[in-house]
Amino acid sequence: MKDNIFAELYNKLLGFFRQAEQEESAKDVACNRLRVVLMQDRTNLTPQLLERMRSELVELLSKYLEMDKEALELNLDQEGEQMALMLSIPVIRAKDEEEIEKALAEAEKAKEESETDDEETAPEDELSEEETEEADEVEETSPESTSEPVADSQPAKAAAMKFPNKEICGDCRECELSDDIECEKKQQAASKKTTK
Amino acid sequence: MSGRVIVITSGKGGVGKTTASANIGTALAKAGNKVVMIDTDLGLRNLDLLLGLENRIVYTIVDVVEERCKLKQALVKDKKNPNLCLLAAAQTRDKSAVTEEQLKDICEKLKKDYDFILVDCPAGIEQGFQNAVAGATEAIVVTTPEMSAVRDADRIIGLLEAKEEIESYRLLLNRVRPNLIKSKDMMSVEDVVEILSADLIGIIPEDTGIITSTNKGEPIVNDEKSLAGRAYMNVARRIMGEDVDFMNLEEETSVVAKVKKFFKGLMGKEK
Repeated sequence: MKDNIFAELYNKLLGFFRQAEQEESAKDVACNRLRVVLMQDRTNLTPQLLERMRSELVELLSKYLEMDKEALELNLDQEGEQMALMLSIPVIRAKDEEEIEKALAEAEKAKEESETDDEETAPEDELSEEETEEADEVEETSPESTSEPVADSQPAKAAAMKFPNKEICGDCRECELSDDIECEKKQQAASKKTTK
Repeated sequence: MSGRVIVITSGKGGVGKTTASANIGTALAKAGNKVVMIDTDLGLRNLDLLLGLENRIVYTIVDVVEERCKLKQALVKDKKNPNLCLLAAAQTRDKSAVTEEQLKDICEKLKKDYDFILVDCPAGIEQGFQNAVAGATEAIVVTTPEMSAVRDADRIIGLLEAKEEIESYRLLLNRVRPNLIKSKDMMSVEDVVEILSADLIGIIPEDTGIITSTNKGEPIVNDEKSLAGRAYMNVARRIMGEDVDFMNLEEETSVVAKVKKFFKGLMGKEK
């Protein structure tokens, strides 16, 4: 009887500690939230602007690639002192030349129409234009992960743009939201923890 | 003599700017420097209270600017340390009573007679901040390991970087609670330093002694036994260019360490 009580107690304690280990600590939550907020503060990039950039990139890249549009991710990340814009594109297949020509022609047509329709469309945001240009270059070599420095538009913090494979996502929050697949970063962090 | 003008700022209110100013100023003076502290928080002055000088103020910085008195007349000497004096803020006026140029001018004049001019900056990033920073070439950014304070510190660092006159800035991490850091409930010193990517000038542990010292109007550096007091003394030494190791707060505050220390003390006495 006594043994049982102790065994139960032991198990409860063990469970308690395991739970504590699994849960993200308050400090980690704070650090992650702060990083995101500070990146927005430093770059003046609001979530709305990121979303706009994302949709424009989808539009552009879908001319050349067949991809999972819903899963395309665009996030800001910090690596050391450098700010990086992380774009992860789940590519299904590259389009063949005919399709590309067709898509380009369609886009051209649409552009002309929109220009004649209303000339009052607001000029694109400077930053997003820049990123689009960058994406244009990369699309030839995609989906290999490459990293190319972007012409710096921020005076204080340098910006860089990286195009990782699908497995490497920009932001761990997204991983948790979508499914149980852990991103590399998270795994690394976990392995670090255990080694410590 | 050409003194150094250091502004103590934070962005967020209530993180301990004024406490830090009072203690660093006192510590620098204790180390033999001639120090003057300027309270630029017009309308909300408090540095006089922390130093216990509230009853001795006759003229304020506004009186100097509006030429009702000479600069030297407005400097209030500290009770204990003749090397230390305070130029108080006016309590009845607002931030517009002094301009950037006027503060710059005052700092220039004080530089000739003092080793250190510490400017206690008001909270916020408006005119009061701009005024306080105007005459300074160095800055100490006070923050705590809390999200809002770190975010505001980041903003302040951005503004300081944009100022040509500011040659360097360093971080003072205040109200650190080693127990909470150990249990991962609070961001660690390393976390904050990494997020802000700034150099550290000091780590001040949370200390209830700060409350009593404020109540008494006597900076905690005068109490050499207190942990926060020693931490502030170290900050002053680092400002003076000494290479001082950061305290290991976890060791200093844990119960085991205290018990060990106690027994060590006993053993020492027996011998």
